Amino acid sequence: MKPNTHFAFFDEGSKKEIRRAIMKAVAIPGYQVPFASREMPIARGWGTGGLQITLSIIGKSDVLKVIDQGADESVNAVSIKKLVYETTGVELTEQTDKASIIQSRHRIPEVALTEDQIIVLQVPMPEPLRPVEASELKTKSMHAEDDYSGVWLMLFEQIMKYGKTATGADHPVYVNDRYVMAPSPIPRFDNPKMHESEALILLGAGREKKIYAVPPYTNVESLAFEDYPFAVETFEGKDCHLCGSTDVFLDELIDPQTGETIYQCNDTSFCIDQLNKKEEVEVQTSYA
Amino acid sequence: MAIDQVHDLQQVYRKILHSMSRPGTISSLADNTRKVDFDLSCFHATFLSAMTFLDAEVTFHILSTDQQNLIDKISAYTSSKFAPINEADFIIILREDTEESIQHAFSQCKNGTLIDPQQSSIWIMESSPLSNVGELTLTGPGIQNTAELHTSLTSSLWQARNVRTKEYPLGIDLIITDESGQVVCIPRTTSVEMKEVR
Repeated sequence: MKPNTHFAFFDEGSKKEIRRAIMKAVAIPGYQVPFASREMPIARGWGTGGLQITLSIIGKSDVLKVIDQGADESVNAVSIKKLVYETTGVELTEQTDKASIIQSRHRIPEVALTEDQIIVLQVPMPEPLRPVEASELKTKSMHAEDDYSGVWLMLFEQIMKYGKTATGADHPVYVNDRYVMAPSPIPRFDNPKMHESEALILLGAGREKKIYAVPPYTNVESLAFEDYPFAVETFEGKDCHLCGSTDVFLDELIDPQTGETIYQCNDTSFCIDQLNKKEEVEVQTSYA
Repeated sequence: MAIDQVHDLQQVYRKILHSMSRPGTISSLADNTRKVDFDLSCFHATFLSAMTFLDAEVTFHILSTDQQNLIDKISAYTSSKFAPINEADFIIILREDTEESIQHAFSQCKNGTLIDPQQSSIWIMESSPLSNVGELTLTGPGIQNTAELHTSLTSSLWQARNVRTKEYPLGIDLIITDESGQVVCIPRTTSVEMKEVR
């Protein structure tokens, strides 16, 4: 810990402003609360929204985990982790169940979160209506008027073009039956994890200066039509080539030696956990 | 021992955040309220909540007219300015405030606009000891099934609150404190029902 930086990097005034925005975000689930996004030592668009939330809520006794696309060791996760560690000295972990705050880019961990945890998601585009309306003033009034025909039309056009809704990630959701929200670019596979989640979900968009939230036990419904129901990515018949897990979000890779397509857990700490468990069993049976 | 502006207020914030995201869940600030070492005409939990949220960017209002000392103290500690009831971002209700004046405050305070529902007031209200056995049944986001709560607010005050939160997303968010350093939160999304009329 560097002795000459203030605890958690921010001055106390910045923390207060962000803390107030988070309170309002929790009180109005799915509504994007504007906040005065600060200049950070990492570039906007690299997780500054999530980082500002993390720094404003973190305390000495917290245990932090940072993931980027499911990985603990990727550059974005490591830089953010280092910054928070050097200004707070909090304990870091890679194990999902040991963390009290999990900052994540584009994934919700495979291990179910608990009510003592807060997950902070980094958001590049917080406005689900932006693809259909460029003006912020207009999208704000569309939210006010509960007018989401634009989003429905976008999904309808995808069905017309491709025969299914073609959102790769960031599939819009209805929160508490009122606000349509961008769940951040998590795969559709993770959308159901937001519904009635045990953990508090906070979302921060630094460049777009918005903070929003999904409190625990809140209705989160992915937008879909009756005859084109919402579907998550399926990995039927495929398993992780390292740990053998099925039923998790898998990355598709090419084996550089054989040129074959292989699959691997996207959540690295989950994968290592599975491998360790296997190893334990192996050691117990072969050296007993 | 004095309050640590950095770490005590962070702990207070996290507890209030926990309670705000889980309406009806009572959190204890006792570890932090113990450190408030001067005399105040409000609960220590009320003062710490004000310290946590107020600064020069927001305004506050205190109902009773003979609390100039407390107003000065909060202003001095937080740089927040006192504002009339219809402009204040934070409204502090003390134990001594009459039902009539609170009713009036409920009807006058900011509850946001449809475009900017966050421009509403947050209330910090004092109550006799809070408990999870009582006259209120809570449902809504943050509550798994239902939650039960006891406060000293009368049913007509809850009705006044319900009137101001009827047109969701407009509404007001309450932080309720008690003498022993407990807090509970009722955001605008919570539906509050009285089990029986007292």
